[in-house]
Amino acid sequence: MGGAVATQRNRSAGRRRTARRGRASPGSRGAKGRGGRRGTPRRRSIARSFWRVTGLLLFGLGVVGGFVTARLVVQMDAIVTERFEGRLFRVPSKVLSAPTILYPGLDWKQIDLRGTLRRLGYREAPSAQGLALGRYAWRPGRLTLHRRPFDHPSRAEPARLISLRLEGGIISEIRDVQTRREVGAVLLEPELVGSYYGPDHEQRELVKLADVPPHLIAAILSVEDQRFREHGGIDWRRIGGALLANLRAGGIAQGGSTLTQQLAKNFFLTPERKLWRKIQEATMAVIMEARYDKDLILEAYLNEIYMGQRGGTAIHGVGEAAHFYFGHGVRDLAVHESALLAALIQSPNALSPHRQPDRARKRRDLVLQLMREQGRIGEGAYQRAVAKPLRVAAVTPEPREGRYFLDALQRQLPEFYDTATLSTEGLQIYSTLDLRLQRAASAALTQELGRLEKAHASLAPQGGEQLQGCIVALRPQTGEVLALVGGRSYAKSQFDRCTQARRPAGSVFKPFVYLAALESGVLTLGDWIDDAPLEVAVPGGSWKPRNFDRKFHGRVPARTALEKSYNVAAARLGQRVGIDRVVKTARALGIRSPLPRVPSLAIGAADLSPLEVARAYATLANGGIRPRIRTFEDVVEPAGGTVERQPIGFDRVIDAGTAYLATSLLQGVVDRGTAASIRRRGFTGAIAGKTGTSNDYKDAWFVGFTPELVVAVWVGFDTPRNLRLASSSLALPVWARFMKEVTGGHVRGDFLRPPEVVELEIEPETGALALAGCPERRREFYLRGTEPAQTCPEWGRPPRRDGDGGSGGFFDRFFDGLFGEP
Amino acid sequence: MRHLLAATTAVLCLATAGCALSGAAPPRAGGPALRVSEWVERGDAQRRASTRMVLQGLDVSEYGREAEAVAGFERAIQVDPSNPLAYLAYARHEAFHGDPRRALAFLDKAEATFGRSAQGMGAEPHLLGIRGVAMKRLRRAGGDALVDDARREATVWSDGRLDAAELR
Repeated sequence: MGGAVATQRNRSAGRRRTARRGRASPGSRGAKGRGGRRGTPRRRSIARSFWRVTGLLLFGLGVVGGFVTARLVVQMDAIVTERFEGRLFRVPSKVLSAPTILYPGLDWKQIDLRGTLRRLGYREAPSAQGLALGRYAWRPGRLTLHRRPFDHPSRAEPARLISLRLEGGIISEIRDVQTRREVGAVLLEPELVGSYYGPDHEQRELVKLADVPPHLIAAILSVEDQRFREHGGIDWRRIGGALLANLRAGGIAQGGSTLTQQLAKNFFLTPERKLWRKIQEATMAVIMEARYDKDLILEAYLNEIYMGQRGGTAIHGVGEAAHFYFGHGVRDLAVHESALLAALIQSPNALSPHRQPDRARKRRDLVLQLMREQGRIGEGAYQRAVAKPLRVAAVTPEPREGRYFLDALQRQLPEFYDTATLSTEGLQIYSTLDLRLQRAASAALTQELGRLEKAHASLAPQGGEQLQGCIVALRPQTGEVLALVGGRSYAKSQFDRCTQARRPAGSVFKPFVYLAALESGVLTLGDWIDDAPLEVAVPGGSWKPRNFDRKFHGRVPARTALEKSYNVAAARLGQRVGIDRVVKTARALGIRSPLPRVPSLAIGAADLSPLEVARAYATLANGGIRPRIRTFEDVVEPAGGTVERQPIGFDRVIDAGTAYLATSLLQGVVDRGTAASIRRRGFTGAIAGKTGTSNDYKDAWFVGFTPELVVAVWVGFDTPRNLRLASSSLALPVWARFMKEVTGGHVRGDFLRPPEVVELEIEPETGALALAGCPERRREFYLRGTEPAQTCPEWGRPPRRDGDGGSGGFFDRFFDGLFGEP
Repeated sequence: MRHLLAATTAVLCLATAGCALSGAAPPRAGGPALRVSEWVERGDAQRRASTRMVLQGLDVSEYGREAEAVAGFERAIQVDPSNPLAYLAYARHEAFHGDPRRALAFLDKAEATFGRSAQGMGAEPHLLGIRGVAMKRLRRAGGDALVDDARREATVWSDGRLDAAELR
């Protein structure tokens, strides 16, 4: 083959030489005639050499050019193949909130139902008649909602038309409009909390071609590439037309790119308009068309195309665009909506229906017109679509307040789900986050910290460092993280002070000491503790705890000691119980941070994270059952299967009676103690909690809980600094603002008193059982078998305790008194 | 002796008065046991919504759709975390179809949330039986005896099982 080509080339060269000789003859003769025979052979020789060299150069260039071209084509082919046969798209994984559950009796104002519907992209309709999917009609006393379907492997919900009767602020009834039957509860779709983006910060929802309505494809083809089904990657007729149009316009007025070329540009090339880039684009388009079928190319295009911007996030593909612009999936697009999406492709930002509705509508109508002209829709469909007003869902910026939670969730996922995986796999992570609580937490923290900074000079920023804080809310029964805000601004600092920081716990640790004492039988709630000077020998000297008010209070009831957060009493109790026992109890409650086995541990000489403190208190709120922290329910892959699940889990670690007693002590802190300002703020219902201020006022804590919610708040500086204020003025106001927003100040339910706890009347001073005739009395809780042996008035028997844990001793004394045995 | 006589008399009097006042006699041996559907209209709005979700979970469990059932029980707990029926239904699911260790944990939580009302609601046989089933699956001693106790307490346990429809 090579030899044949060479022979062919030699023959050609010979013919060219003959021709040159023939043409040179007259000239040569003339030259000779002009008297120069000497120059003729030289000229001939130069000419021969010139043509030989030129020929060789051209030949060489041709060979090299061919080789380079072939190599480039091979390289482009490899690039195209690698992309198409590997991962076509990197899709960021999305984190979704817990769904909003509607049921009769729910306060719809408190859950901000209108706001929730708006954020979910539901649009208000003027009437409930013929209500389309994703629309609602709100009349006085009645909300009719056409709820969208919701896909999930185990919690799928079909589309449903429901009617809610609203009486005052309450949903009084829910009915299925079609069946007219009453409905117990209805779930709304989860809201987007955020996504794990890669460096491109692109969001897309992948769609299959089969799920795309034909009118969307028709709309796109009519305006972007009407001969898509016929051409081989390049539409020469369109290029010709574009050239003419551009010549007439004296510049670039029209593009001639096919969908395939656009895809090649978006996938592999930069958007610059240069000849070499256009050649690459065309070559790649031809390669794509040669290698893959039209449907695959079209599907890739539909998923790749840039469709607009949500803040800093680029919206790619028609699936994501359908949600962004219309609040529903691509399958539910109407003809006029499809036409609008097709219209946007040319310039999504300049034609944004949110910012440029007139321009967007004009272009949409042009697309509809093209569809009609090309016979893709009939006259009737055109007329109906073109008459539709331009309606788009409100822009719902991705909530920024969820970023700390996203990071915490990622840390809880198995190691396999690293940043690269999460930013490319397109997973749907169904989280436990309650966005209503999350928004309230974020607002409470930023507003209160801002207020505190203004009110107290000691809290003003120094050296660029702001007062910081964090708030975490858990459901105690399930350990679900309902809200988490790790700092004032994620943009400024991604360090999560609730889950990553460990700060001196101070007095929020004391309840663990009291719990250990109650567990080990060292303490009952009727007992007294000595808050007198204490000196404990420690290696290298002695430790002498002091109270915050620098006073000693002498013998005080155990309740008062905790309610007023007396250090010396807690330290003395810690000594009685034993630090090892305190550590054991703290570990049982879920404290994982290192705990120094020193006497001062009893007053909180340990660095803990707010999340672990919240879990420990959740164990008390949950009757001694320690919940496992849960940030997500499950992880679903794009194909629809559940790949990870985090079930509700808990373990009994403290007996229910002891947990109840500790909770009761902490209720006293809120009712009468250092957190009594909660009641002054108008809160009613069962609330327990503990303030905590570390040494030198560097950390302020408040952990408060109700039967259904545990909330821990920490306030301080990242570089520890004296706050000059107690936690009741720093962390507690954040807690109160948050709780006011989410509960309205009225707490539901009560802490369940287990059967092993009895309530008795005792004489406060001695802790003796108060009988008739006892001058002073108050009610107190005891574990069955630990009731006071002594009575008031004294029955004449020496006091004794029921060491065997039975209740016979009490009855014995009772009936002794009743029947008069001496 | 005098003390014993006095104490016995007093206890009997108190028990009789208590029963008369409450009007809720404990379930007879071999008699009816708790059914969730009987409690669906009781309690406040949160409790009613939650109990309906438990019912829905039991409904789908009847058809073997256990993942959906669990989702229903979890939602029921989220709506009303102190609804003992949600924990009981979850414990039943775990004992028969899931992890028996988790069944015991949920049972513990159910018992705690039932508190004193367990007997009045007829939940005792279920608490005994489900614990017995879970213990048998864990090969722990005493499981059979507990199931036998449940059998004696409620006819629904006569086959040593508690189907979703039977708890429903």
